[in-house]
Amino acid sequence: MLSRVRSIAILMWAWVSGVAVAAPLDDFAVEPVAPGHYVHFGSLDERTPANVGDQANIGFVVGEQCVAVIDPGGSLAVGKALAASIRRTTDKPVCFVVITHFHPDHFFGAAAFVAPGVQIITHDGYRRALNQRARPYLNALQRDLGDLARGSDIVQPTVTVKASHTIDLGGRILRLEAWPVAHTDNDLTVFDESTGTLWLGDLLFHQHTPVVDGSVLGFIKVLDTLAARPVSRYIPGHGRTTLPWPDGLAQERAYLQLLVRETRAALKARKGIEEAVDSVGQSEASQWSNFESFHRRNVTATYTELEWE
Amino acid sequence: MASPFSRRRTVLAALASLPFGAALANEKAEPDPAKSQYWTPIRQMMFGDRQLHDGKDVIRVYLNTRADDASTVPVSVKAQIDQTESNYIKQIFLIVERNPSPAAGLFQFSPHSGRAQLETRLRFEDFSFVRAVAEMNDGKLYMASRWVKAAGGCSAPGDRFRIPPELVGQMKFKFVDETVEYNKPQLVQLMIRHPNESALASDFDETKTPQFVRSVKVTYAGKPVMSAEVDFSISDNPSFRFFFLPTGEGELRAEVEDTHDRRYLHRMTITEGVPLPGG
Repeated sequence: MLSRVRSIAILMWAWVSGVAVAAPLDDFAVEPVAPGHYVHFGSLDERTPANVGDQANIGFVVGEQCVAVIDPGGSLAVGKALAASIRRTTDKPVCFVVITHFHPDHFFGAAAFVAPGVQIITHDGYRRALNQRARPYLNALQRDLGDLARGSDIVQPTVTVKASHTIDLGGRILRLEAWPVAHTDNDLTVFDESTGTLWLGDLLFHQHTPVVDGSVLGFIKVLDTLAARPVSRYIPGHGRTTLPWPDGLAQERAYLQLLVRETRAALKARKGIEEAVDSVGQSEASQWSNFESFHRRNVTATYTELEWE
Repeated sequence: MASPFSRRRTVLAALASLPFGAALANEKAEPDPAKSQYWTPIRQMMFGDRQLHDGKDVIRVYLNTRADDASTVPVSVKAQIDQTESNYIKQIFLIVERNPSPAAGLFQFSPHSGRAQLETRLRFEDFSFVRAVAEMNDGKLYMASRWVKAAGGCSAPGDRFRIPPELVGQMKFKFVDETVEYNKPQLVQLMIRHPNESALASDFDETKTPQFVRSVKVTYAGKPVMSAEVDFSISDNPSFRFFFLPTGEGELRAEVEDTHDRRYLHRMTITEGVPLPGG
């Protein structure tokens, strides 16, 4: 009887609020990965109404005074779910929202955190890059999510990082570092020296096919610089790994190197871009998720980068 | 009568003022190409009441219908007929109907082209039909269309690899074959280092004219091979692949002009049996 009343109540609520009974993000969870560091591991699936753009690994870091969000997620709904997780975890306020780069699965949730005094921090190149893609990104979000996209929006940074920048959460300093063109032209990493924890954004993909939206050669170079750093724990932008640092960078690096090697061979063999796109890197297909969606664009980007060598 | 180029310039200018994006494209499935609301005004402006015949026996468009990088969508337009003195494709209009400037290019061919074929790379602002209309030497028009799912490419950062000013306008010819054989159509790729700035980039200073390649003229031994009037629907570092018909030793010559009235010239002598540059 009770449960019947409850289910009627839920149905009523769903009717009143206009959402489906099985609301997406019901099981939204964060996991502690280091003292004070919490990660929500996003879905490896493409964006659908069922996941509301919950695709990237996002999270937050708690200090004695403040919380820093690291990527607010792929929609307002995801940003709100993350905000709810923060409230369940700590009573400290969110003072900083760090956006690791301008891709929709990472930034569209920012609207959930906009409030007086909250700094939105990005790479110096973020604003320009995002402004150029804002309209198509909004169109695509609308196309994929329909009404569930409502409220997700472009949020401009209040602080931008040219080289490096530190933020103090109280007893915990985070060092933000802006990288040269790699995954995109506005990649920003977050490092907590006290725990040796590195948030890589999409400079690191696990399981999910890496994406080259910047420079494949630059990407490899940045990975090599990072690999030489002492890091205790690290968080990829997509997927999970238990490999020690820097071994966890190796598979992505190998993929990028294969792209370079086989594209150079295709150019040498006088193959046009379409032929190259059909053949380069296909041996990696079984190694990664979403290969069909992203691999071909990676070859296109690699080909146009290398054809002038 | 104005030249086709200046006529096209007027068409371009008129098309640029169409209210693009007024109706948000939101199709996941392919719409009916004949009922496209975007196409009607473009068709009217470019071809008036002239009949557009089904192009399947004359011209075909090849590309990936789901293009992942909207800023660089390789597209091939291939004639299904031979170019002969009496029957040939005179020009091909390439149209991306939902781009802010839908007329991506007008490519002119001659019997000396060997075959009317063009491969280039396009930017797509939104899911769109791409249409190729071939105009024959007798004036008949034939159209082929393909639906492409790619979006955001017109405004994509075009300067991921900022080109040093001294290299802008640098050109290369690349050949598929290692040597030429006279009297056999030869495929050549013309590559142009140029930012081909999109007027859409929101950081673009509106008081300036965006710099993009607007015309390309290729000749062999003084005879026209392919000439093109193009705009910023063409990806940065424009690339064009097409045929020419070497009938004997001669100079392959490309003249390129951009919207800042800068002219660039590239040429090379083609001789049977002499190795040609490739990748």
